[in-house]
Amino acid sequence: MSQSLICAGVWFRYHRKGAWILQDFSHNFAAGITLIQGASGCGKSTLLRLLAGYLTPGQGHVTIPSGGPPTQPSFQRGSLGYVFQQLNLLPLATVERNLELAGRLGGISSKEIGARTARWLQLLGLEPFARRLPTTLSGGQQQRAAIARALVKEPQVLLLDEPTSGLDDLNTEVIACALRDYAAGGRICVVSSHDHRLATLADETLDFNRFLPLEGHLRALV
Amino acid sequence: MKPLILIVSYLWKDTCARWFEQPGSLLARCSVTALLVAVSTVILVSLHMLERSLRERLERFGLNTLLVREMVTSYDPELLPTGERVDRLAPLAGSGTTLRLRQLLPRAQSEWQTDLGILSYSSRAPGPLVELLANESPLICLSTSWPEQAQVRVSVNQQVGVAVVRRPSEALRPLVNEHLLLVPQGWLPEEERKGYVDTYVFLRDPEALPMAQIVEAVQTLYAKERRTPQIQSALSLIQAWEVLKERQRQWRGWLAIVLGFALALVFGSIAVLEFRQNLFVTALLRSFGVPALWLWARQWIENGLLANLAAIIAIGSVWGLHATLFGALGFPRTVIWPTGANPYFGVEVAMVLIWVNIGALLSSLPVAAGLRLPVGKTLN
Repeated sequence: MSQSLICAGVWFRYHRKGAWILQDFSHNFAAGITLIQGASGCGKSTLLRLLAGYLTPGQGHVTIPSGGPPTQPSFQRGSLGYVFQQLNLLPLATVERNLELAGRLGGISSKEIGARTARWLQLLGLEPFARRLPTTLSGGQQQRAAIARALVKEPQVLLLDEPTSGLDDLNTEVIACALRDYAAGGRICVVSSHDHRLATLADETLDFNRFLPLEGHLRALV
Repeated sequence: MKPLILIVSYLWKDTCARWFEQPGSLLARCSVTALLVAVSTVILVSLHMLERSLRERLERFGLNTLLVREMVTSYDPELLPTGERVDRLAPLAGSGTTLRLRQLLPRAQSEWQTDLGILSYSSRAPGPLVELLANESPLICLSTSWPEQAQVRVSVNQQVGVAVVRRPSEALRPLVNEHLLLVPQGWLPEEERKGYVDTYVFLRDPEALPMAQIVEAVQTLYAKERRTPQIQSALSLIQAWEVLKERQRQWRGWLAIVLGFALALVFGSIAVLEFRQNLFVTALLRSFGVPALWLWARQWIENGLLANLAAIIAIGSVWGLHATLFGALGFPRTVIWPTGANPYFGVEVAMVLIWVNIGALLSSLPVAAGLRLPVGKTLN
């Protein structure tokens, strides 16, 4: 069994007659942190959704470390953590309940959830906000809570879409530390970002600007 | 089990929050359902009550009864010197019991100022009346409500007599609405001379020819003689009953279609709007691993809950207003029928509830279609 997340000859477009977002993309995402960099619209978020199984490739296939496609509900529930750019938390549940819900659906025992919730809330500096609703938190706190929600399952694959966009240096550093801590356990972490503060974090960096048409590529360079 | 409880608890909280934030959508759904269900219930219960009253009339009239009425005046060329007419229906005697009476034109008054119709019988051939005749008086007051054996003082014009109260027998039941006075022929000679309605009551024996053939024979007899008496049998009531049953079926069908589709449209439109508003939260839940089926079931249960609640309130309200509503329409004011049946627990109301639920189910289908969209495209 391979310990990497494999993309093999993936083609994808959102509409049948639309332009291809990804064309024959192949890559092995090994354990550690992979940073995907590129200008807006180059397909970073699309690739993360394909890796999560939230989108299905037009051609080619994505294979999860345990084999099979990422669309398997057991993989999405138990082995995948995903942090969206925004709207990551259920608005009517407290931060603690958001984490508990994710853990429960991941099949973790209540005792273990309690311990993990406490640990990740502490690591991300969210202990004082555990019983607060997401709407009462700042942007940075919400983003940290979203990462805690993804990490509480301690998933095999963690996918983060622009986790630090709009955050200050302190929040970015807290998140970077948490990710480093998580990836040290031999897990796969793919981060899509154009935040240069995360450049030092990556074990591997993928430049997605190369998928842009020439004109767009030049504009990105400028 | 625990994840299910957590998800259900969250979805319930989400639903309540939505209701609280947008009470208009809640009220719109409930009021449209209540209105449609109330109208449907009134129509179906009315039809049910019409059917019941027709069935009661049929039971009172009797399936084997034939009633023939013909006006006789003093100038009738067929009148015999005795003042009687030829008994045309005498051949029917072999097929059942016949009773011939004269319905007189004036009305009698009881001592309690009650109006009574008057029929005179032949004391020479009282037929089935024998068992009703009393020793105390030849006058009989047939009543469905006054105490039996009671003696009632009755007056017709200047003539006064005492009648004994009796319950109408099977043969006389079609003639009696509430009270009727039977007098022997000759008790009101002047009134009989002015004219009367020659009234035949025929009760068919079970072994005799079918009622339809007897009615046809009687009609043919009178048609040949170019006479037009009033011929009344259970056949016309049965026909009317069947027409009513057919109409009931049609109404049930149309109401089912209107109710089901109207609810599906109203609930479905609101469900789609709310689904679009909550698209991201729904997608987020799905990204957590919540099955789309649960999210669809939430919509179905929500719609079903509101629709059933509004429907039950509407049915209960119609039931509560039954006496006022149906009393004004000329129906009995009591909800429970003498047989113990309650139209609000009948098949009609069950059908309304079934279609309310089908409407609620149909209304959740657009949400099911929306949930087929991949999470990745929703969050795009």
